[in-house]
Amino acid sequence: MIWKIAKKEFLLNLMTFKFAVGTIVCVVLTAVFMPVLVSDYQERLKQYNGAVAANEAELRKVKVYKNITPTIYRCPNVLSVFSEGLEKRLGYSAKIELDNIPEMSAVSTGLNPYLSIYPVLDVSLVFKIVMSVLALLVAYDVIAGERERGTLKLVLSGTVARYQVLAGKFLAGLATLVIPLTMAFIVGVLIFEFFPLVDLAGSDWVRIGLMYLASLIFLSAMYNVGLLFSCLVKKSPISLVLGLFVWVVCVIVIPNGSGYLARKIQPLEPEEKLESELKLVAENRDRELKEINKKIRSSWAGSTAGGAFNKNYILVCDKRGLEHWKKSSVLKEPVRIKYADKFLEVKQKHLSNLFKQKYLANNFSRTSPISLFENIMSALAGTDLARAQYFMDRVGMHRNSVVAYVRSKTADFSSLSYFTRSKEGDWEEGQKILEPAVDATNEAERKRVLDAFYKWRDKKIAETPALDLQDFPQFIYQPSLARSFSRAIPELALLTFISVLFFVLSFVAFMRYDVRSD
Amino acid sequence: MIWHIIRKEMLENFLSLRFILSLLLIISLFAAGGFVFVDEYSQQLQDYWKKTNKNLSGLSEQSSQLYELAFYKQRIFRKTKTLALCAEGFEKSLPNCFEFDVFTADLPEIKGQSNFTVPHFSDIDWVFVISLVLSFVALVFAYDSICGEKEAGTLRLMLAGAIPRHKVLFGKYFGTMVTLGIPLLIGLLVNLIIVVSSEDIVFDGNVWLKIFTIILLSFLYLSIFVLLGLFISSRTAHSANCMVILLLLWVGLVILIPSFGRIISDASYDMPTQEEFERMKGEAHDQIDQNALNGKYGPFASSFNPDLDSPYANPPARARFDNALADAQNRITEGHHNQMLAQAFVGRNFTCISPVVIYQRAGETIAGTGLNHCVNLYRQIRQYQADLKEYIRSKDSEDPESLHLLSPMKMAVKNWGTISKQPVRFDSVPKFQERDLALGESLKLAIWDIGLLILFNLVFFAAAYVSFLKYDVR
Repeated sequence: MIWKIAKKEFLLNLMTFKFAVGTIVCVVLTAVFMPVLVSDYQERLKQYNGAVAANEAELRKVKVYKNITPTIYRCPNVLSVFSEGLEKRLGYSAKIELDNIPEMSAVSTGLNPYLSIYPVLDVSLVFKIVMSVLALLVAYDVIAGERERGTLKLVLSGTVARYQVLAGKFLAGLATLVIPLTMAFIVGVLIFEFFPLVDLAGSDWVRIGLMYLASLIFLSAMYNVGLLFSCLVKKSPISLVLGLFVWVVCVIVIPNGSGYLARKIQPLEPEEKLESELKLVAENRDRELKEINKKIRSSWAGSTAGGAFNKNYILVCDKRGLEHWKKSSVLKEPVRIKYADKFLEVKQKHLSNLFKQKYLANNFSRTSPISLFENIMSALAGTDLARAQYFMDRVGMHRNSVVAYVRSKTADFSSLSYFTRSKEGDWEEGQKILEPAVDATNEAERKRVLDAFYKWRDKKIAETPALDLQDFPQFIYQPSLARSFSRAIPELALLTFISVLFFVLSFVAFMRYDVRSD
Repeated sequence: MIWHIIRKEMLENFLSLRFILSLLLIISLFAAGGFVFVDEYSQQLQDYWKKTNKNLSGLSEQSSQLYELAFYKQRIFRKTKTLALCAEGFEKSLPNCFEFDVFTADLPEIKGQSNFTVPHFSDIDWVFVISLVLSFVALVFAYDSICGEKEAGTLRLMLAGAIPRHKVLFGKYFGTMVTLGIPLLIGLLVNLIIVVSSEDIVFDGNVWLKIFTIILLSFLYLSIFVLLGLFISSRTAHSANCMVILLLLWVGLVILIPSFGRIISDASYDMPTQEEFERMKGEAHDQIDQNALNGKYGPFASSFNPDLDSPYANPPARARFDNALADAQNRITEGHHNQMLAQAFVGRNFTCISPVVIYQRAGETIAGTGLNHCVNLYRQIRQYQADLKEYIRSKDSEDPESLHLLSPMKMAVKNWGTISKQPVRFDSVPKFQERDLALGESLKLAIWDIGLLILFNLVFFAAAYVSFLKYDVR
């Protein structure tokens, strides 16, 4: 009997105006949003590929270990098209250095700060706004409407049990909503195919599948909210008005309010405190470095050349210079590394406050199914905070392995190859070429000597081979589907619970419903 | 007769559930908005004064030597306006710190504590409540005003009498507007009472005038939605269908169209990246270096010899060279800043097909907040920078020991004495003070938006009128 009711209800829904308009709007909006968003992603991907290639090229040019300061770029997430999350709010790159451990930061300068007046745009906006309204529209008159038309008492005068009616209506509503949802997903995925640069991996397909499932649970929750009101009131317009008011509260009031409450309950420390703490660490470090400087002060002569990653290195220098730089590296670099950890400690303390506030706001916003859905989508798309933290953890680990690599290759910074490839005698060779310049009697003679020196210098630069970085540690970052899923599961469970709860409440209300029409 | 219909319409609405729900929702939102504003505003004000006083004390320290004033990097912060209560204009995520000395100005930055992991939501200001919630409530009141009566069968009874249709339409329109006006005005009153009763916030006459203007604007905006509701209601036979269409239109106009702003902005301007920006600056630098080598600024323009008597020291040429460098950098920075603003504005201009965007923009313009506030402040700061430079120039001209060469090179001052080192009275030093626009000026800026709002009203009114005249009431 349930199937019969579901079938009848489903067919009736298909013929309605709201279904036609809702479906068309969903599909059209997805078709408009997707190309814009995917081409935006493609543009970001191009920039990322360019940056990574430039970084690799620089890495191949490195001549001394000191200059190894590559940058790790965050690959744009293809699924940010579905849910933007934090994708565009966080920094895109992290520099690997001895004296600094990268941490999560807001998107850096260079981007136009004035654009922050605009709200976020992604495909889940269509689902969470348009489809949730559609779910309410489908549900608002299922019981109250039938009562008004007088068909409800006819149905119930037969042998059909009330739970069967309600279950049939629920199934029919879900089946009705599946159509625009599926169409929107299919259109979305098809549009991906028009962009040759965009490649969806196997795990991305699974994620999209899970997003589809999450959207379905979300729609069922929203449908059940509408169903509850339809079972609570006698007039369908009242049911619609109630449902829509709840919707406005869920879409507008709760997300805004939860952010505010979190700010109040878990206030951030003033920025000046972070700045002063960082300054204090920097001062302590500089003091220690100054002490070392005092110890190793010596006069030396040499010439530097521009190297990879826009950093200079010592091309040639005299014996004293070699000694000086060796001592300086051995003594100073461990201090810099030590203080990098201290900087990180301060930054992490500050960040943990931000995260606490974020999680608190998240907890508050869980009272709204729409915010829950948003969280699930960003967890599945991999644009949530946890993923960003994972990325930064990996970057931190990579930085540590780079430091360990440089240490092992340079015997704790004591090898000359840490700062120069110059050998004893190189400097003297250059000086020999330059010597006649001192005795030069005219400008032409001087210029000739200088030219010869520059030629020798250029030759020396060209002759200096790049380091063999075959065994340079690779940056490993493999976001796993299981982790995303495990983050989404509690929220999915909560959403399912909300859906079931509203259905149960509808059931209770319907059992007591007076089916007689006026 | 119109009064009769208005009265009936109002009474019917007042007794409905939707009225009570809207009243509760709107009053609680306005009350919450008021409390939040009072709380945050006093905090922001404290913060602002702390930073501003720090800047001023820095400035006063520099007044012991005139040239130090010229090189002092001032940090001016954007002050939150009391009218952010009406339209906050996303100011929390806009640049709020302007750093400059008399020679150069940096790009405005965002300073202060903010949590980048939490998406920034709009404050619960008037524009937010009215543009999102009340526009929705307007549709909820208007959706069944024509087709609902037709379904109930009362419309044909009414029109069977001697009432012309336009009177019915006017009656319905005004009835709905009054019904909508009541929760709005009560909400605003509650909000204003909360705000005015706090100690930190004082409204002057100009502010009250602006508040009044924003209230008028709000009615103009809500009227669009009422007319839209009447229009669709007189195009459809069933109130349920009317609601569906209106809801989807609302979602489109209020939520989706404004969201397109970012994408439009991104697509219409190809902004240089940070590296490109730096490269442009580098190229300008090289160009001026080249000009100096070609003798454009005089002999030895780009060299610096600390000894003023040396034949290689040429202070006027060096000053011309340094000023040319600073001017070129300023031009590029300013150009980049203008481009950023233009990029931000273009998205808004395109999304103006939605009355929400127009209303938000008009509200921000009248309140003097949002993007316009930044533009205005930046302009005022540049003006102040020029005034300060003029002041230093005039004070410098009084000192016979100075070479009177105002240029951005500290070494030149120290070694050559290009700018006076005499102390100045701090009282006489110009200090930056932000000037609020008067209502007339704000209105002039908002005139297009107000015109557009009126146009929307006229279009929807005409559409509703024509549709209702042709409406089959059976």
